[in-house]
Amino acid sequence: MTALLTVILSFIGALVCGLMPSSTHRRIRWVALAVAAAGLVVSMVCCVNYPGGDFADLVAADWIPSLGIGFATGYDGISLPLLLVTGLVAVCGVLFSWTLETRANQFYAFYFALIGGVYGVFLSLDLFLLFVFYEIAVVPKYFLIAIWGGARRHFAAMKLVLYSFGGSALVLLGMLAVFFLAHDASGEALKTFNLLELQQGQVPAAAQQWIFPLIFVGFAIMAGMWPFHTWAPTGHVAAPTAASMLLAGVVMKLGAYGCLRVAVGLLPEGALAWAPWVAVVAIINIVYGALVALKQDDFKYVIGYSSVSHMGFVLLGIATLNLTGMTGAVLQMFSHGVIGALLFALVGTVIYTRTKTRMLDELHRLIDRMPGIAWVFVVAGLASMGLPGFSGFISELYVLIGAWGELSGWIVSGAGAGILLTFGYTLVKIHEAFFRERTHSPDSQSETPYPPMTLPEKTGVAILLGASLLIGLCPWLLTHKISASLELLVNRLPN
Amino acid sequence: MEFNYQKLFLALLPDLLVVVALFAALGVDYSCLRGSRLAKRYQVACQISAAGLIAGMAVLLLQLTQAWSFTALASMTDGQLVLTSGTLTLKALLYGMGLGVLPLAKRDQITPQVSEYFALLLLATLGMGFVVTSRNLLGAFVALELVSLSFYAMTVLNQAKRASAEAALKYLTFGAVASGFLLFGLSYLYGATGQLDLTQMTDLQHSPLLVLAYLLIFVGLGFKLALAPFHLWAPDVYQNAPTPVAGWVGSGSKIAAAALLVTLLQPVFTSPELKAELIPALAALAVASMLVGNLGALRQTNLKRLLAYSAIANAGYLLVGVMAFTVEGNTSVIFYILVYSLASLGAFGVVAVLTDTLGRDAEINDFNGCWKTTPGLAVAFLVFVLSLAGIPPLAGFLGKFYLFFAAIGATPEVATWHDGFYWLVAFALIMSVVSLYYYLRVLRAFLVAPADEEVLVKTGWAAGVTLCVLAIAVLALGLWPEPLLTLLRH
Repeated sequence: MTALLTVILSFIGALVCGLMPSSTHRRIRWVALAVAAAGLVVSMVCCVNYPGGDFADLVAADWIPSLGIGFATGYDGISLPLLLVTGLVAVCGVLFSWTLETRANQFYAFYFALIGGVYGVFLSLDLFLLFVFYEIAVVPKYFLIAIWGGARRHFAAMKLVLYSFGGSALVLLGMLAVFFLAHDASGEALKTFNLLELQQGQVPAAAQQWIFPLIFVGFAIMAGMWPFHTWAPTGHVAAPTAASMLLAGVVMKLGAYGCLRVAVGLLPEGALAWAPWVAVVAIINIVYGALVALKQDDFKYVIGYSSVSHMGFVLLGIATLNLTGMTGAVLQMFSHGVIGALLFALVGTVIYTRTKTRMLDELHRLIDRMPGIAWVFVVAGLASMGLPGFSGFISELYVLIGAWGELSGWIVSGAGAGILLTFGYTLVKIHEAFFRERTHSPDSQSETPYPPMTLPEKTGVAILLGASLLIGLCPWLLTHKISASLELLVNRLPN
Repeated sequence: MEFNYQKLFLALLPDLLVVVALFAALGVDYSCLRGSRLAKRYQVACQISAAGLIAGMAVLLLQLTQAWSFTALASMTDGQLVLTSGTLTLKALLYGMGLGVLPLAKRDQITPQVSEYFALLLLATLGMGFVVTSRNLLGAFVALELVSLSFYAMTVLNQAKRASAEAALKYLTFGAVASGFLLFGLSYLYGATGQLDLTQMTDLQHSPLLVLAYLLIFVGLGFKLALAPFHLWAPDVYQNAPTPVAGWVGSGSKIAAAALLVTLLQPVFTSPELKAELIPALAALAVASMLVGNLGALRQTNLKRLLAYSAIANAGYLLVGVMAFTVEGNTSVIFYILVYSLASLGAFGVVAVLTDTLGRDAEINDFNGCWKTTPGLAVAFLVFVLSLAGIPPLAGFLGKFYLFFAAIGATPEVATWHDGFYWLVAFALIMSVVSLYYYLRVLRAFLVAPADEEVLVKTGWAAGVTLCVLAIAVLALGLWPEPLLTLLRH
């Protein structure tokens, strides 16, 4: 029941914030911060209490028994890092929206509805419930982007929502097929949406061959899988900072989590057959995302495409289908959740509110004019590159070791090339943004320094960077838990 | 069994109460209130009609608690009155929704013929109540005609509006032809089985006459349900009829027609050959309706017209559940049409409240900035439209899910893609994604766009309560549908 508090608190928070008058935005942001922090504390308590291995904190109740639908929640080592990252990003999202005034009550109503849905997905142990939460997380995104977004926000919001629902349509179809086709060892139909019971049973191998791509692609659209990734950069760029932090930090993880938990977890034979294709797409994600990031002029687009590239590592980790690779995938979800959110916060709020532009061509020697912020960004960029000491290094290492020998040499060398390209675009873009002199830029004459970071901004940066550093230095904090739970999943895969 | 007048009286008491209210409304308006102010006449007529419907609902709820005692009626009356918990629930809900239409009708005082307006509303409600409780070919047909005739007249009530007259004429001519088809089909069904009583019609054998009968019935009910290609009347009627009437056409009459459709198809369940012959026809109608409805709605700028196209699309989804030809499928169809109607009536209610001061047809842009001027209505509208779009946790999602669940559950194991209903469900799902585009476009006006000008809208307590109850019902049925599903199954 403890873990379920995250969902309940978030929805209550959404209601409370929505009902407060918008003129009281100063009070609203404190309420929002309290709600988000409560969610984070609950997930940390869950993390500390988790005994390891199988699902813990199980809640099971009848919901719509005539349709085989129950209310079942719980968490294990796979969902735990994602609960944590959701809590972290939720808190920091509030911190980086500290100055928001327009329609603040509605903003936080949508914000917490989205977060409640996300927590719900990570906790659901019933396929139907998971789907319901997954969809609950989609609609608020539309309004967050369409109301508070930047240029082209209506287009970006609509595109994002249509892609999301296109994905969920595939998932729903696959879900129904699993419900009716799954049977237990004696061949009797299970007719249940309960994940634990479905894991015990099995779906006929022939059916898995066509259900797996449906569910996997359906979820992977949300994870930014090529060629369905195009919603991600446009959505990230148009979204307000808190929303793009959530998008990159947790919403893309929803998709990856669904791929792992539902597609691979319930359809092991399908996974085995399709894994090579998933690996190919993952490599395209990594390399293509990095190449496109290299060509961008808008700073936020750079981060948007780097998200696509980093999510490729998650997909690659899942495609290895072995313990090491998948541990890397889950850790990469955590790592990118934290770092992606940090980069979006820096570009979208910290830098943009000062320079009023995100175009790299117009930025002029920011290192002199905002030295503190510039160095923070350099550190965040290094973390994003996967420098040893940060969580990204550990997760990418796990993924590569997992892929080594399991997948063909081309795939592994593709991933290696991707890492080099990541180094490339990160360094190039940092140079362009902070160190390059633009003699022709409109304010090239101005040498006045920008104001330093505010307290909420500093706190947010410290939390996110600290989390990445902590896991980078003590990866065993999470990897032990992740591996113990993944082992159960891997054991169900046919050899 | 001996004919029992006492039992019959008890069974018909709700309808009698409504009839009494109907005559009372007419009588009072013609005698005491002659020469009174319009507002006063609307007030009184609305109160009397509401009293009748509330009394009727109260009796229905009493009947519901002892539904078992009415089982003998079916055989006594040739299936004219089948009062089970399922049919009684449906009837009670129809009365409840009819009650919700009254305050909306009272708000925009479009016609000086006050009592006729309310009498027609009550007549339509009465007819719907009979359609859902009847299992007799003739009885159901007559009741459905009662509904249709009331609606033809109500469409043209606003005599100041020329377009209304055109829409009503279209509605009448199309509707009359459709009724002809329906009656023709029913007569063939009678000819093939020798039965008027649907409860006695079991073990249908495959015959060309039966196939023809059902095809004619599909044409007839296709008009009533606004299935493509028989949908042409719908956009005009939805746009030009008085808004409360359009809301009631789009909800109550749909429930009646859908209930009749699944009842008529019940005897087919045991005949696989007949099913195989009927499925292609139904599938064609479903695919055409989803295409026409969803693609048509993309281009609309008038909100009521957009809702009409959305109704066409939703009728298409509905057929997916019909095609399952199982008891599960029937329940899913009834549940779906119920939750659809709640949301659709709610959406029309919001439109009615917001447009009666406008004095012209409302475009989607006229609703810009509702979040600021009328936040309550904007939230209610959000609930209704998201339910229409099928977003959880609202009832519309569960309804759609249940339809697809029933369709796939009918033949879950398939050898090729065109066996079973996976392909149809996939198509319906793709179309739902398309539909999201126009639903979000509407919501953008309500919730995203800045307010153009400050308008003062008075919701009125009755309309406010109605919309609130509808919104809560849509949410509650999405979160906790089991009680209603249990009632409908029996």
